[in-house]
Amino acid sequence: MANNEMEVVNQEKVQYIVVKIGSEQYGLNISYVDNIVRMQKITRVPKAPHHYVGVINLRGEIVPVMSIRRKMGLEDDVYTNKTRIIILKLEAQGLIGVIVDEVREVINLGEDEIDRNVQNTSKKVDANFINGIGKDGDELISIFEISAIVDAVETI
Amino acid sequence: MDISQYLDIFIDETAEHIQSLSDNIMALEQEPENADTINEIFRAAHSLKGMAGTMGFKKMQHLTHDMENVFQEIRNGNVKVNSNMIDILFECLSAVEEYLETVKSTSDEGSNDNEVLIKKLNDYLIDSEGGSSESGDDSSEEASDSEEDKSEGEAASSGEAPFKTMEVDESSKSKLVEASEAGLKLYGCTVYIQSDCLLKAARAFLVFKAIEDFGEILAFNPSSQDIEDEKFDLCFSVIIASQSEFEPIKDAICAVSEIDRVEYDVVTPDMYNQDDQEEGLPKEEEKKVPAKAETKAPKKDASNKSNNKQAKKTGNKPVTARTVRVDIEKLDALMNQVSELIIAKNSLVSISTTEGNNGNQGFESQGFHEQIEYLERITTNLHESVMKVRMVPIETTVNKFPRMIRDLSRKLDKPMHLVMTGEETELDRTVVDQIGDPLQHLLRNSADHGIEDVDLRLQRGKPEEGKIELNAYQEGNNVIIVVKDDGGGIDTEAVKRKAIERGIVSEDAAEDLTDKEIIDFLFMPSFSMAKQITDISGRGVGLDVVKSNIEALGGDVEVKSEYGVGSKFTVRLPLTLAIIQALMVEIRDEKYAIALGSIMNIENISKSDIKYVQAKEVIHLRGLVIPLIRLDQLLDSEPKEEEDDNLTVVIVKKGDNHAGLVVDNLMGQQEIVIKSLGKVIDNNKIINGATILGDGEVALIIDVNALV
Repeated sequence: MANNEMEVVNQEKVQYIVVKIGSEQYGLNISYVDNIVRMQKITRVPKAPHHYVGVINLRGEIVPVMSIRRKMGLEDDVYTNKTRIIILKLEAQGLIGVIVDEVREVINLGEDEIDRNVQNTSKKVDANFINGIGKDGDELISIFEISAIVDAVETI
Repeated sequence: MDISQYLDIFIDETAEHIQSLSDNIMALEQEPENADTINEIFRAAHSLKGMAGTMGFKKMQHLTHDMENVFQEIRNGNVKVNSNMIDILFECLSAVEEYLETVKSTSDEGSNDNEVLIKKLNDYLIDSEGGSSESGDDSSEEASDSEEDKSEGEAASSGEAPFKTMEVDESSKSKLVEASEAGLKLYGCTVYIQSDCLLKAARAFLVFKAIEDFGEILAFNPSSQDIEDEKFDLCFSVIIASQSEFEPIKDAICAVSEIDRVEYDVVTPDMYNQDDQEEGLPKEEEKKVPAKAETKAPKKDASNKSNNKQAKKTGNKPVTARTVRVDIEKLDALMNQVSELIIAKNSLVSISTTEGNNGNQGFESQGFHEQIEYLERITTNLHESVMKVRMVPIETTVNKFPRMIRDLSRKLDKPMHLVMTGEETELDRTVVDQIGDPLQHLLRNSADHGIEDVDLRLQRGKPEEGKIELNAYQEGNNVIIVVKDDGGGIDTEAVKRKAIERGIVSEDAAEDLTDKEIIDFLFMPSFSMAKQITDISGRGVGLDVVKSNIEALGGDVEVKSEYGVGSKFTVRLPLTLAIIQALMVEIRDEKYAIALGSIMNIENISKSDIKYVQAKEVIHLRGLVIPLIRLDQLLDSEPKEEEDDNLTVVIVKKGDNHAGLVVDNLMGQQEIVIKSLGKVIDNNKIINGATILGDGEVALIIDVNALV
């Protein structure tokens, strides 16, 4: 019995939305994603933390939008018609938009397909933002630690 | 019908009575001989006791009963009022409040029986009365006992009891026959409720419940529906079918509190056959019952002016009947929907203006415009009505303060009194609920740090008794609450030293600080000026909490103080939290909203009108020197390549302070819905929210109070 259950847990796959930021691919756990919207006019908020680009109107709600590039110290976003805003829904912070260069696909990853040993990831990216590297065929997908992206903000 | 449906009423009314007691006991201390006050106290205490009893809160009933005894002795002139006694009474009142809180959270009175307090009360009575104390504890029972005897005698002398003459309809009659054929005993019974009883229906319900333990109620007079709706005088009659003797039933009925007495007899179904013999009786009954009520009331409360009070109560009834209790969340939901409606309306307005600009709609768009304007009027009115529903006077929050100041005055051994004005000023319910703590803090602050010791006051040529004022009034879109004392004021030198000591500011920098800047230190976290920590204040969680609480409500607080003369805290709160009229302005290509309530006027000034004072830009306008604020610089907008010769300046005010905001363009007035920026970028002092414009764009709202 216990063994069977273990197997079920192991085989349970989590869905990730794969996005592109620069030349790298990142995965966002789909359970945090409320919505994906096209790039739209972002109203700048003066004196807001630097990586917050501003706020948008999402069906009558005011949603702050952050630039994950600014947050990770990459060069600034260049908006194209592939740029999307991923709306995350978090318990403590409510809705937050994250700008990504491109949304590619949704993949299923089991725990055995994710390498949790991420001490030596890319120099550019603070390893804290990532909690694993998923392998989907030949592609490598860095899995965002969502709470780190946002919690780090709150301490500012 | 369930007792719990009375719980809300109980909680509300108890709170009211506690407040009334508190107010009147305060008044009593000032005028110990005032009979009206004593009577009012007595009435409130009695109601409290009665209601606690009805709801089955025995401990609470016990405590209030003993309090009532003390009041009775005061009323009879057996006990003189002194501040020691007032202290005990206030302690008791706090205990009652505690019961109420427990009831509120658990629907039960809890386990604290407050024996110590009750003993204190009784000891006090015995001490002050000496030999005559035997009448103390039991006096009220004795009084009601003897009265019971009298009224029973009266009933006996005035003929038949109501239950014998009650009308029974056909279906009940057949039940009576059935029951008697089944060998059950039938009892007719009339229950009299005490004349000053509140919640009569609840009492009747308890009586019915008690009876149903023994048997079945076959007939009611008045009807059960009328009894439930309290549509009866002081008595009601029932016919019971039971196997038991009547004595235990009677005991059970009498165990319900505020039941005056029970009349009963064995009846037969025949008695309710409407033959000629009994035709005349109902009339007699009609005559008798009101007569009885009349003779009883004055007797019971002869010295109590109870008739007046009762008249007042019945006078109040229609008002209560016309109000509805609504859950604040439902109102919030309603407000949100109105907000959505306004946003939708704004987008219609925005479409209609762009259509108009195209110029090809002609005749049709004329009507369209009119309809839009009509819609605009309706939504504005609707919004105002919903807002008014949410408004409550601040009275409910501030009326506990006089007693608090009295307690503090005694605790600190400094004579002082509180003068309150403008308690009727109305504010949004959510604001009123949350403004209590900050105000309480400011008042405690004034009492503890503000008002000096008597010696020092006399030395400074002030009256012995300190004076604290709490004054509320409406100003434009704001409500202002001022807490003012004639105490020592803020010693800016001492604050400065403390700030240097704490390393908040360097000694050199401290020299250049203005008094206002120094006073602002007091609002920093953990900056307490109390020389020693008392339980009143001085723990360092003080003004900073006040400030953050008030800011959380969208308001601000300002201090003016003169050393040795007194200080004045001005709390400014927005009238509403959700929807405001605003002026839309443009700075470069960004749109901002400025609350219309804080705008004084709009000026076009030429560049050459700008003067410099202390290297800051000001304009001189009709006798006022107004500092200019370049919004574009403040908001980090892109710098302009070439500055215009003419500037558009929006003059805003906060209290006596003015400022001129330089904007690029005016877009016009609009009703806007304030939305939060979300938690992650909420630490913004200049922007206090955002709103959605007609075209779906987001515009930020500039917080004028933070700028001026």
